[in-house]
Amino acid sequence: MMTTILLMACITFFTRYLFLHKALPFKVGPKMQQFLSFSAPAVLTAIWVPIVFINEEGVNLNLSNPYLSAAVLAIIVAYKTHNIYYTTLFGMGLFLLLN
Amino acid sequence: MRKALLKGFLDMLPLCLAVIPWGILCGSLAIQNGFSAFETQAMSLLVFAGSAQLVAIELMAGNTPLLTILFTTLIISSRHFLYGLAIRHKVINQPLRWRLPISFVLTDELFAFSHHPKAYRTKIRLTYALSAGFSFYIAWNLWTLIGIIAGTMLPDLTHLGLDFAIAATFIALVIPGIKNLASLITVIVAGVSATLLKSSGFELWLVCAALLAMSAGYFTFRLTAKEEH
Repeated sequence: MMTTILLMACITFFTRYLFLHKALPFKVGPKMQQFLSFSAPAVLTAIWVPIVFINEEGVNLNLSNPYLSAAVLAIIVAYKTHNIYYTTLFGMGLFLLLN
Repeated sequence: MRKALLKGFLDMLPLCLAVIPWGILCGSLAIQNGFSAFETQAMSLLVFAGSAQLVAIELMAGNTPLLTILFTTLIISSRHFLYGLAIRHKVINQPLRWRLPISFVLTDELFAFSHHPKAYRTKIRLTYALSAGFSFYIAWNLWTLIGIIAGTMLPDLTHLGLDFAIAATFIALVIPGIKNLASLITVIVAGVSATLLKSSGFELWLVCAALLAMSAGYFTFRLTAKEEH
């Protein structure tokens, strides 16, 4: 089991370190850089939206889904306040109330 | 320097708290599946990748062949290639003694704090990033330890719906960053395609959804930039 864990550690570290290695046979051009500038909103959204919409039975678009109404509130608070603490507090608050 | 350390810790704090359910689950799930306490903690200390760990625990418990486990780990971790590429120009001129620890803690969470144009470029900002990155590392290992100790005593917190916490923090990180049509399109395409791909059971859903969304954002950016000229 430790061997598997060590090999897994090598893989995750490899994926994190590879493009921070100095000598690479290519350069990231300005167009590529522009493309990559969208990676943070793209990946983070691709992680949180399925948490909101997918449950054990599949996709749930119903407004009675507590994840959905709490997410809507969190989006409004995030948009208005730009504050991570308020957003999490109000989002979680409504979520726990409904759940 | 001290301020940078403190700010890194405080900025990461909500995310450290939001992963409590997953950290605890990682610890208790491993124990329930026959891992020793040492192996469980070693996994969080060395692998330090929540989703990869949770999937691997299930696979290892099911006696899945080693190569399958490693390949799955690579697929789940492949989004980190994007993170490295995206911050490369900011970090690459720093000596290895900074780049190594930064890459070790380059999680989704730390990457979310990497968008500032000057991020990683000065000693202060590197200190800030390492403080944020390693406070998340310590928190993750602490939650794992609690999961190990609690074992089966605690209910599965992710089923209580506490997994919403991570969604809420990511909403807080993403929404204020939507400043133009291109970033709005990116977010919409990412959300829709991730939901569709994941619910259809496609293994590479996360990376594919991200690449689709980035392409959509990039082309919108090019189109809107042309119109302005």
